[in-house]
Amino acid sequence: MELTTIFYRAILLMVIAILVINMYDEKKFMNHIMSGMVIIPLVLRLLMIK
Amino acid sequence: MKHKNFIISMVIITVITAISGKKFIDLRKMDKINKGTGVVSIERLSNYAPTLKGTAGDTDIYHLKGDKPGGSILVLGGTHANEPSGYLAALMMVEHLKAEKGDIYIIPQANKSAFTHNDSQEGNETHFTIKTQSGDRSFRFGSRATNPVHQWPDPDIYIHEESGQKLSGGETRNLNRAYPGKANGTLTEKIAYGIIEFIKEKDIDISVDLHEASPEYPVINAMVSHEKGIEVASSALMNMQLEGVEIGIEPSPKNLRGLSHREWGDYTETMPFLFETANPSQGRLRGATTPENIISGKDDYYVKLAKQGMLFVPYTKEGHPLSQRVARQIVSVQSLMTAIGEFTPEKEITFANAPTYDEIVTNGVGTYLK
Repeated sequence: MELTTIFYRAILLMVIAILVINMYDEKKFMNHIMSGMVIIPLVLRLLMIK
Repeated sequence: MKHKNFIISMVIITVITAISGKKFIDLRKMDKINKGTGVVSIERLSNYAPTLKGTAGDTDIYHLKGDKPGGSILVLGGTHANEPSGYLAALMMVEHLKAEKGDIYIIPQANKSAFTHNDSQEGNETHFTIKTQSGDRSFRFGSRATNPVHQWPDPDIYIHEESGQKLSGGETRNLNRAYPGKANGTLTEKIAYGIIEFIKEKDIDISVDLHEASPEYPVINAMVSHEKGIEVASSALMNMQLEGVEIGIEPSPKNLRGLSHREWGDYTETMPFLFETANPSQGRLRGATTPENIISGKDDYYVKLAKQGMLFVPYTKEGHPLSQRVARQIVSVQSLMTAIGEFTPEKEITFANAPTYDEIVTNGVGTYLK
């Protein structure tokens, strides 16, 4: 795996991690849905990076 | 429960991500190509362009060798992975046909990376299914260009290095604008370079690039020929007309650079040709794109446009079925092989068991795939 691939994946993982951590204390269900709409494409993006 | 919403939403997100992620990863799986009895060897393109090794652009080259000596031909399918007749015609040669005379080299997935994704905003299907000898078989419907996952970012303007020709940035991933390519260029340029090196090293007599175009595109049901192949192309045209297949000849424009029919001829000794059949599933004016209309070639919108005289091919309710388009490609290649033999008998190339145009149209292309 190339260094740039690791670097870009690390950035995405960090963003996903921040989202999940913030979701943990979030009470409103609608906000969870909104976070999900961000996380799902981010994970797909993570799979796409090569 | 304190984190009930968190748990519920994470379960939903995990399920959706797992389903969509699997589908996403599956797009990287390539079609299995079954080696036919006529294939004597399989090489990798990276043997001719070492910088391609281990990349998504490295692809297989199949060799059919006749018992009798003759000329040599290179056939490319899948330069544009959204033009299935060229891809399937090349597959049919690999899986069904045998050479009788000469050497036939086939690259069914010339731009392998282009088979791993779709053109965005086209609503294209990722696969289409054909009934073959082994049952229903699924084939990829890919993109015109290299996958941006494998080559990015695109420049604002693509400058063809040898000529200085300027094209839109997306064309930097178009294999048929990348010739003669570069050993250390972009992935697309590396593929182009590998193909040029292969032609040089094998001293290929004639080279054919199989394409499709939308019915509203002017160069269609046509053979594009470099100036050094015009006589052979004219003879091939007559051979095709004898089979009842109408086709036109277009001279390769000297000022349109990077294309196979121009650069193969300018940079190597080969005689290059490019064939175009009518593919409604890639047209701008088509209706809904479905796996069925990739195969049936039927589209009501094109029937209406044909009545208004806006198309460059006849178009009726019967459409342009995939089997008919594959048949055109096979007959085109055969006609060229015969034609070169008419000019230089020692360079004649023949298939031992090629079906006729009518047989492919009647039986369907799947009959000739394993």
